[in-house]
Amino acid sequence: MQALLSFDQSPPLTAPLRFLLTAPLYGVLAGALLMIEGADLLASRWTPAALAATHLLTLGFMLQIMLGALIQILPVVAGANLAQPARLAALVHPLLNLGCLLLVAGFLAAAPGLLQAAGVLLLLSIGGFLFAAARALLHVPSTSPTIRGLKLALSGLLVTAALGLVLLLALSRGWSLPLMPLTDLHAGWGLAGWTGILLSAVAYVVVPMFQLTPGYSARSGWAFPWLIIFPLLLWSLAFWCDWVWLAAISQFSLALVGIAFCLLTLRLQSQRRRPRPDVTLHYWQLGLGSLISALLMLLTAAIWPALSQLPMWSPLFGVLVLVGGFIAFINGMLYKIAPFLAWLHLQNRGSSGGSLPAMNKFLSEAEMRQQMRVFFAAFGLLTAACLWPEALARPAGLVFMLANAGLGWNLWRVVRRYRRFCLPVNTVPAV
Amino acid sequence: MDFPAERIVDARYMEPPQPFVATMEMLDTLQPGEEMLLLLYREPHPLYRVLQQNGHDWKSELRPDGTFAVVITC
Repeated sequence: MQALLSFDQSPPLTAPLRFLLTAPLYGVLAGALLMIEGADLLASRWTPAALAATHLLTLGFMLQIMLGALIQILPVVAGANLAQPARLAALVHPLLNLGCLLLVAGFLAAAPGLLQAAGVLLLLSIGGFLFAAARALLHVPSTSPTIRGLKLALSGLLVTAALGLVLLLALSRGWSLPLMPLTDLHAGWGLAGWTGILLSAVAYVVVPMFQLTPGYSARSGWAFPWLIIFPLLLWSLAFWCDWVWLAAISQFSLALVGIAFCLLTLRLQSQRRRPRPDVTLHYWQLGLGSLISALLMLLTAAIWPALSQLPMWSPLFGVLVLVGGFIAFINGMLYKIAPFLAWLHLQNRGSSGGSLPAMNKFLSEAEMRQQMRVFFAAFGLLTAACLWPEALARPAGLVFMLANAGLGWNLWRVVRRYRRFCLPVNTVPAV
Repeated sequence: MDFPAERIVDARYMEPPQPFVATMEMLDTLQPGEEMLLLLYREPHPLYRVLQQNGHDWKSELRPDGTFAVVITC
């Protein structure tokens, strides 16, 4: 019976962990870049430093963690088993990191050769992951909104990467393309079609599971990804036909759908049965509030486009969406996922003997809370720095560095304690 | 299908691994051919694998409120 209880389909711990442990370094690098560049980084979204910082966060931090987490959760939330997950991780991880670093260097040095080399490496890493994930999901029926969401999110990643590659080639080879609207479309697919849909697909599972809330209704779960994909397709059509009005309607619709999802999640969290709010809940509340603020900005800019021409508009939108929004969600979820992974693999290793340590033995609430305070301070400073860049850009960069260093340190703590706990234990699968 | 309370594991507000433990404990009390009902806000794919390994049948249904109702045959 003991052997039958063993949940041995889980990928090796190193497969997701190498991504999770690397990601905070990119947060540190982004903070360092802001410290070096100061107010200039926040002056425009089109400066080399702003492009570099954006991709340090979106590729180096966010994509890195999302790919690592997917390697772990595809079998658990979708019953989709990746063939050779350890080998896939060993292939995708270095290519992604080298590609990201070359891309950032290419932006900063305005070096077409570096940008092209980055394009090849990112194409191989993202393409390789998408190929493996598509093979795993191909024969899995969409029996839950989560599985449908995962499939559509991966389609969103494919479009985002393809648009990014076109932009790289246009930049490095001097192609005559409308770079600004194409960049907006690339960002739209990346933030809404990939990150937004993935976040919602995962939220259907983790919000009720970790925060003990009611579930998302089936109707909202099935509808949400399509309500994102459809406006994105309209936006793509608008780009192709150069219909500015249709692009504005699409962005307005995306903002409304995003706000509806955030409000629904806040309502579910208000009905949670876990009496004491934990660090993950605080991170989610920050993420939802910040995302709602950013989407309200998008909503108003779709009606009054002149607003988006204000100097502080782009950096503030970026800080609210990326740092206060998605990175806050990810940070909060990492504090559930990393100890849970350690616990899961610990129980898979054991056969008999001692008992499993509780999950809070891998990382205490106090340790997480300490890092959270620094992150919240960094977010506050970054937001304020968009309004007063000369005074606050560098301090904000420093505190953001510290917040990410703290996250990295906490994740290493989990690994060290996992190694210490590696003793014979009873096996119980986690469901 | 209506299930008596003693044949239902309502795991919607349980943290992992409690849903799994409670399900396996209830299965241990059933005779071959008897059924139980598991309620969860997610599809329990790891549990499905264990049920398959142990030779149990199951069918799941997503209800409008987001609950997955999994009927497991011992």
